[in-house]
Amino acid sequence: MHILMIEDDARAAEYLVKGLGQCAHVVDHAADGDSGLQLALRGSYDVIVADRLLPKRDGLSIIRMLRADGNRTPVLVLSALGEVDDRVAGLRAGGDDYLVKPYAFRELLARLEALQRRQPAPMGEALVVGDLVLDLQCQTVKRAGRLLRLQPREFRLLACLMRHAGHVVTRTMLLEQVWDFHFDPQTNVIDVQISRLRNKIDKDFELQLLHTVRGAGYQLGEAS
Amino acid sequence: MRLPRLLRTTAVRFALRYALIYVLVLGGALAALMWVEHSHIDDRTRAEIESKLHVLVLAHDNGREAEMIQGLRQLQAGAKRDDRLFLLVTAEGARREGNLIAWPSEQSITLDGRAHLVLIEEEVVPKDLSDSDVFGLAVAWMFADGSRLLLIHRDAEAEQLLEITDYLSEVLGVAGLLALPLSLSLSHTMLRRMDDIGRTAADIAAGDLARRVPVSERNDEFDTLAARLNTMLDRIQQLVRGLREVTDNVAHDLRSPLARLRSQLEVALLEPRDGAEYRETLGHSLDDVDQLIRTFNALLGIAQAEAGSASNGWEPVNLDALAHDVADLYGPLAEEKGQTLDSSDRQQVSILGSRDLLAQALGNLLDNAIKYTPSGGQVGLSVRRIGNSVELATSDTGPGIAAVDRARVLERFVRLDQSRNLPGNGLGLSLVQAVARLHGAELVLADAVPGLVVILRFPLPPGNRAA
Repeated sequence: MHILMIEDDARAAEYLVKGLGQCAHVVDHAADGDSGLQLALRGSYDVIVADRLLPKRDGLSIIRMLRADGNRTPVLVLSALGEVDDRVAGLRAGGDDYLVKPYAFRELLARLEALQRRQPAPMGEALVVGDLVLDLQCQTVKRAGRLLRLQPREFRLLACLMRHAGHVVTRTMLLEQVWDFHFDPQTNVIDVQISRLRNKIDKDFELQLLHTVRGAGYQLGEAS
Repeated sequence: MRLPRLLRTTAVRFALRYALIYVLVLGGALAALMWVEHSHIDDRTRAEIESKLHVLVLAHDNGREAEMIQGLRQLQAGAKRDDRLFLLVTAEGARREGNLIAWPSEQSITLDGRAHLVLIEEEVVPKDLSDSDVFGLAVAWMFADGSRLLLIHRDAEAEQLLEITDYLSEVLGVAGLLALPLSLSLSHTMLRRMDDIGRTAADIAAGDLARRVPVSERNDEFDTLAARLNTMLDRIQQLVRGLREVTDNVAHDLRSPLARLRSQLEVALLEPRDGAEYRETLGHSLDDVDQLIRTFNALLGIAQAEAGSASNGWEPVNLDALAHDVADLYGPLAEEKGQTLDSSDRQQVSILGSRDLLAQALGNLLDNAIKYTPSGGQVGLSVRRIGNSVELATSDTGPGIAAVDRARVLERFVRLDQSRNLPGNGLGLSLVQAVARLHGAELVLADAVPGLVVILRFPLPPGNRAA
């Protein structure tokens, strides 16, 4: 994945470039808003990471310029401003995701990868991971041909994990995508939800599909 | 420097301005009266008095002085005696004939035999004719021997008007004299009340945030202002206190985990270790940092809710759906503890608010209820519309909170002794309270016998009330 990182904090940028590089991504770094916009307009990137408060030109302005130019590259906004309004402003400006500092590197990575493959499966299709089949139209889940009885929230949770099959989905991503909540619940609610789901889809089977990725989140199926 | 300041006040400025307007209006009215009088006396009267003088002068000049005197006396004996005034004086100014005491000092009396309007001072008019200044049309003549003759045709109506204006100007004078002291005393009162506010502001600026503007029992506009200012000051003080608490608490609550994290990393670096050991230390450190970030986020969330204004990004929030979603999220947590979470008692109602903050508050309440309720217990979540308010409530069958402790648990980081061994940072209820305050809701802790009920009571806007 070719990533443009617009971040003025040199140390943060260094770690991010190094970390993303180790995860086999190619990263270009811009230290201010103007050079970031130039790079974004010239190059072709899979994903852009933009800090909100930047010298010369702020992150939201970069996104607006890009969108005005017809550039649809997904942008993840990084910000130290975490209020609800700030997130809404970021998304309204044309950002695709919003991450508040301090964030976990794994969270950033998971969200960037999710942005890259951001093509929601059309409704009515089936999601398939190994012998696990989720039918969006009939709202049924089968594993090895056997019908699994899931509650509505377990169904939504599984659908979310299956859309990102082979990739890490963080707890906050699940909270946002399944419940539309944007806060830290301060408790292990997601873990409990996952363990119940795991009981239903993995318990009676040899091959475990739902994995916990330490310090990051969950992953359904093996890395693709 | 008290007086100059008084003179500079708005009240004095107003008083003086009014006095000026008063003078201008009265002066204008006076001028208008005079003008009306001028035009009132017609040319016929002029011609008549001029010709009378002419006849008398002719008699005198023809050496028939006696005839002239006779003519004068006839004038005096006319139908309306006090209507006509006249005077004949010698060259030396001594009175020879007439019903005036002496030649008037009026400058506008010209000795050319032509009629002019004049105002004669009352001193030269006998008391039985008039007790005030005399106004009228006058003609005067100086004979070759230096003696002078004056005839006056009085205008009684004009004199009355003049009297009124005289009286008015006296009133005006008194009013003008009173305006200053009155406005000064008014200013003094106003200044005193303003000074009360000013002093309070100065004290607060100097750091005494507890000061308030005194409110009297008069309930006048100053008291209204003072009450409003005090409400504002209460809110500011509350915000400042909240901010202070946050910084204190951040320092308090982040210091020890930071110290632990630091020493953990230091110890790891003391001597060479194998990869597995490093990984383990880093894993622990990561967990610690995550916990720090959680506490940090919780504190920021509270600060954000407390500093928030009521309309920033607010939207109608369907409490029924919200309660369903939150119960959906926390349900498995309760089930895992062998509890039942009942959220079926919900009514359809929406309020204006922040969905995320409300969800977070409700989540914290459910989290607490689940945490403190023993296995096999029951946790309830309800949304009820009661009168003009909506009650969002959680209940549990746990140990409850003793009445004496209920206020205390709302403070930050307060954890009652029986909960010390449970995970948590003591911030949950503080956030609930901040969110409640932000939404204008009342937070009530009550006894569920057994257990605890926590009620968030939101006022419904008038348009949203049940019919």
